[in-house]
Amino acid sequence: MDDYKFLFKVVLVGNAGVGKTCLVRRFTQGLFPPGQGATIGVDFMIKTVDVDNEKVKLQIWDTAGQERFRSITQSYYRSAHALILVYDISCQPTFDCLPDWLREIEEYASSKVLRVLVGNKIDREDREIPTHVGEEFAERHNMYFLETSAKEAENVERLFMQIAEDLMKQARSRDLPRYDASTTNINGRTSTVSDSNCCSRFQ
Amino acid sequence: MDYELPTEFDIIIIGTGVIESIISAAASRIGKRVLHIDSNNYYGGLWASFNLDAIQKLATVEETLNEGLGNTFFNVKNFEIEWHIPSETPPESTEWSRQSLLKESRRFNLDLAPKLQFARGDFVELLISSNIARYSEYRSVSRVLTWLNGQLETVPCSRSDVFANNKVTVIEKRMLMKLFLALDSGEEDYHNYENKTFRAFLTDKKLTPNLIHYVLYAIAMCTDDTPCLQGIKNTKRFLDSLGRFGKTPFLFSMYGSGEITQAFCRLSAVFGGIYALNQPLKGLILNGDNFEGITCGTQEIKAGVLVMGAEKAPPHFIKQHPKSSIARAILITDKSIMESEKEHLTLLLYPPEGGKNSCVVLELGCLTGTCPKDLFVVHLISRQVEGPQNDFKHIIGNLFGPEKANILWSCYFSIPDSNDLDLTVETPKNVTLCPGPDLDLDYDDAVRKAKAMFTDIFPDCEFLPRAPDPEEIIIEGETSDQDNVELKAESAKTEE
Repeated sequence: MDDYKFLFKVVLVGNAGVGKTCLVRRFTQGLFPPGQGATIGVDFMIKTVDVDNEKVKLQIWDTAGQERFRSITQSYYRSAHALILVYDISCQPTFDCLPDWLREIEEYASSKVLRVLVGNKIDREDREIPTHVGEEFAERHNMYFLETSAKEAENVERLFMQIAEDLMKQARSRDLPRYDASTTNINGRTSTVSDSNCCSRFQ
Repeated sequence: MDYELPTEFDIIIIGTGVIESIISAAASRIGKRVLHIDSNNYYGGLWASFNLDAIQKLATVEETLNEGLGNTFFNVKNFEIEWHIPSETPPESTEWSRQSLLKESRRFNLDLAPKLQFARGDFVELLISSNIARYSEYRSVSRVLTWLNGQLETVPCSRSDVFANNKVTVIEKRMLMKLFLALDSGEEDYHNYENKTFRAFLTDKKLTPNLIHYVLYAIAMCTDDTPCLQGIKNTKRFLDSLGRFGKTPFLFSMYGSGEITQAFCRLSAVFGGIYALNQPLKGLILNGDNFEGITCGTQEIKAGVLVMGAEKAPPHFIKQHPKSSIARAILITDKSIMESEKEHLTLLLYPPEGGKNSCVVLELGCLTGTCPKDLFVVHLISRQVEGPQNDFKHIIGNLFGPEKANILWSCYFSIPDSNDLDLTVETPKNVTLCPGPDLDLDYDDAVRKAKAMFTDIFPDCEFLPRAPDPEEIIIEGETSDQDNVELKAESAKTEE
């Protein structure tokens, strides 16, 4: 058994090219740029962090390119504890698409999911979206807001740590979206007989 | 659309039904360049799940085809939707109204083709062996019921069930256990029964009428005419899947059966498959008896192979038209058909009656993620005789009404069955058509078909080898390339 107390699923969405994979790679591996071929076969990345001396495992899911033609599966959003919506501060269209993304999130994600808006690429000098515009959008839609640079490693650690801390706080106050109150882990190696009221997950 | 699709692939797959999605995942997994494309703006085609709003809209869409690809032979037919509650109720009322139900629309996941999985069936084994299981969650069916002597009865499935069942006498318990053990040991000799029915076999075993009913209609899911060997096979399959994940042999995928195709599509995407829903598919580019590409909007996209759902094919590819249909009903109800302290996930196997075929009834509560709290979704599935309304009338009359569960909303439709058709006759050699949903309770046959098609297209290639876990992928340096990752995946596999 792994040595962690909490496991949270974090999913990223946003237009293609805003730097979702870069944010994940920067945080989990300290790498930039991640290199295109390397994402093949990678489903989600895992990093265990310390929050108040507790081990918290973050399972961070990337879109697998399905966002490019607006074809993310609904099941991608299921069971997410936190959702990071990313745009590129130097690319207006990626900001203009945010309402579309929000609609999709409302439709498929749990209403209790922690939502964070991230303006990425603050290292770029051709900024098109001023900070306060992003901030206002986030406020209007009840989201956290942060600007980051995956390239310069700016605010990336802070982004994920903030999410981990908030989810911990929610978990303690039992305000977390509850998906697995009665789930059983099932894998091919050891088969478990679960109570019939349980939901099963093969691994 | 901001982006143009790439224009060259090894394989193009049109339609996101179960078989198409399995082939897509398998092709991407072995490194083929896959374009998986759908004219619908949702995943799943005839296997999809919809919320309440969306399924109502689906029912009102006219059966028209514009200049795009596709045919109408396999369209969902006979859609009839009816509300059984007032459109509004006073604000203080706790009764459901059309308005209050529609407000919960997105909590519903209503399947066109609801399916279960046998806990030890080929499909579950594939999910585990390919590591696709991580994309979906399952809940076990908690009771199996049948309709016997004018009422609902619990079918004794396992040894403990047999003993706990107070409707079964001590002698019957012994008979049933003896039969289960005999089938399980494989020592039983059936060669005298090769030309006889399963019913004849059970009668010869001197089982009581009640036991014959349980075994024939529920456990083996047979009719009076099912050949003995088929019945034996079915019974063994049922018994083999017991005790793995719950009290019955069956699992249901959380949030509805539509999740299944999405799980395979996700794997395909993770391994490089390009996904594009809602695409303006215009036509195929053919050169004699050879498929060369597709026209999508203004783009021409080339590939060596085409796989498509039968319903997406140009009409002249379809030599045989569907001969039979699957009758379907979806009901939203306010109570379980058999109330109990805890919420059950119920499979009711309703025997054939008065010229009507046997019927699978699946009752789902809110714990399955397919409906809001305090409501149930009931699916009825049967081989169509007259039409869904008439085919289910007797069952619905018996299960619902005053003093029983009430129906708040009902939806009837038929899905033409494309599984008994030869879909290869009129298609170019490098085009494969995939049938839509079948009448089976599970996906095992769909997996077999997908695997056969995949092997036909890519001979000597491994079918869905285990995908590595994220922990197993070690990316060295900054520019780890694809081969490197693949290699790690392979070595991780052999270590296991």
